[in-house]
Amino acid sequence: MTAPLLETHDLLKDYVIGGEVLHAVNGVSLTIKRGEFVAIMGASGSGKSTFMNMIGCLDVPTSGTLLLDGIDTKTLDSDALAEIRNRKIGFVFQQFNLLARTSALDNVAVPLIYAGLGYTERRERAQAKLEAMGLGNRLQNTPAKLSGGQQQRVAIARALVTDPLMLLADEPTGALDTQTSLDIMGIFQKLNDEGITLIVVTHEPDIAEYAERRIVFRDGRVIEDAAVKSRRRAVAG
Amino acid sequence: MSKLLNSIAGWGVNIAIAMTALRTNLMRSILTTLGVMIGVFSVILAVAVGNGAQVSVTQQIATLGSNMAIVVPQPDSGSGPPRSTDRGRLTERDGRAILRQVSGVSAVAPQIRSSVQLVTPGRSATTQATGATPEYGIVSNVTASEGRFLTDGDVGAAARVVVIGQTVADKLFADANPVGETVRINRVPFKVIGLLESKGSNLGNDNDDQIVVPITTLRQRLQTTAMQGPDDVTLLFVGFEDEDSLLAGQQDIKRMLRDRYRVPKGRISPFTVRTTTEIAETTSQVTQIFQAVLVAIASISLLVGGIGIMNIMLVSVTERTREIGLRMALGAKRSDIRNQFLVEAAVLCVIGGAIGLTLAVLAAAVFQQVADFPAPVGLDTALMSVAFSAVIGILFGGYPAIRASRLSPIEALRSE
Repeated sequence: MTAPLLETHDLLKDYVIGGEVLHAVNGVSLTIKRGEFVAIMGASGSGKSTFMNMIGCLDVPTSGTLLLDGIDTKTLDSDALAEIRNRKIGFVFQQFNLLARTSALDNVAVPLIYAGLGYTERRERAQAKLEAMGLGNRLQNTPAKLSGGQQQRVAIARALVTDPLMLLADEPTGALDTQTSLDIMGIFQKLNDEGITLIVVTHEPDIAEYAERRIVFRDGRVIEDAAVKSRRRAVAG
Repeated sequence: MSKLLNSIAGWGVNIAIAMTALRTNLMRSILTTLGVMIGVFSVILAVAVGNGAQVSVTQQIATLGSNMAIVVPQPDSGSGPPRSTDRGRLTERDGRAILRQVSGVSAVAPQIRSSVQLVTPGRSATTQATGATPEYGIVSNVTASEGRFLTDGDVGAAARVVVIGQTVADKLFADANPVGETVRINRVPFKVIGLLESKGSNLGNDNDDQIVVPITTLRQRLQTTAMQGPDDVTLLFVGFEDEDSLLAGQQDIKRMLRDRYRVPKGRISPFTVRTTTEIAETTSQVTQIFQAVLVAIASISLLVGGIGIMNIMLVSVTERTREIGLRMALGAKRSDIRNQFLVEAAVLCVIGGAIGLTLAVLAAAVFQQVADFPAPVGLDTALMSVAFSAVIGILFGGYPAIRASRLSPIEALRSE
């Protein structure tokens, strides 16, 4: 339990494009402790998304070590990685990525299918998470019947439904207006206060100010890693 | 135990996911199912018609009479074409000799066959006349359902009497009772003494379209083709007591006839002796080939249906790459993704198979009514077709499903 949540050593990811090797992530070593709220920043092409995909076990590093909850991910096969994504990581995407024509309740219950839970338990847990997100009266709505902010809250409920160790959010406010973005960051801060680790990728500096630690990427390397000085607090909406 | 329950529940979820996906593209799903439906429909119907032919042939042979040998004066060419130059003779004397000398023979029925025209006032019919003796009734199971069959007295007196089949009776007398009426056969007046018991029809061959007259009468009054001698016959039916004596008797008859007609060693016999058992086997082989050809052709449509499934599943995988990526991000294992698409293909196939099966059963029933042809769809056929369509689903859905499961989560998630 004392091991840090996330530890990377000289993490490297290469892409070969048109015969040229591109170092998308070029030797990143860092540690993220349990309960931290980290913002990862950088211009597009800086490697922040690639880094995010690797720590989310969606992509495998070319070389280097990634320890997640003390486990070396290099030793894991695709099934074990799927299980880690299911149990330990919750994903929040910029485009929400909800299943169309599927109710909010069923969307939130999807990870529980892969966790092997029965129908009744899936529904109960999914409903509880949606109610915690203030969507208790929207259980049967399909994504098309929900606003952007509501959709992102459904997505957050889905990310939380397996009670993961950390939430990975890739530009979670990128498709939302300012007020709604603020609401979402408020939810994140509240969740973080309750003990969950949060890693948010963003290119908006003011969004990053809601985090407590800021890591900046450029050309595949970390160029800045420091605590946020004047941290903003949002009132959860 | 709980692991088993979970895995059953897992398949239930997959079926639910599949149903949702199929409903989303309802028109496409229906068209794809249609392909499998037509395939299963034609395969089942082909099997049913083949089975029907088999049944029909078995019935046809049963109407000939069992444990019987048929002797015709045609060269026994084996499998080769008959040679008309070796055409032999066959007489009533031969028949009597067979009855005397071959063991296990219960009766011999000599026959002359001839095509005749029958006329009653205002009506006429053309049919085949069999000139026979009372033994014909015994050997080939022919009885009169009304009136009576031939007697030795009829044959001895060359009486102008006739026993007619149901079809002939319908043509000449409509609904009236023909027994006791007079009919002109090739202009000669005959008295109808009986109505043959109906034997139905098989494979379009109407067993009731025939008449029976005394062999002597036919020879004297109705024969159109010249015979070589006064007691020549067209063929002999030889009835045996049981199947064992039939097998032995077949060889005895051949040997005996060769002796009687002094056929030199090495020359082909101018007679053919076939047993009902042989005829049944040969015809059964023919109908089996017929069925195999039918099923093979029908299978092509099932194959096309399967290719349709594969095509639609490949499209579905491509369209839903992003969904696959998302599901992987949320914890779906490769096997979960593979099973999801397998189940989708299997659901399409099983629905198509079930509808195809239902339609085939209905079509077979209609066919049986309209064409008077048995086309039984057995439980084995039904189970086979359902299993077959599931196999088609797994076979043709397998490749797209495995392709989906091999996608890299991040690449799938990034795709537009």
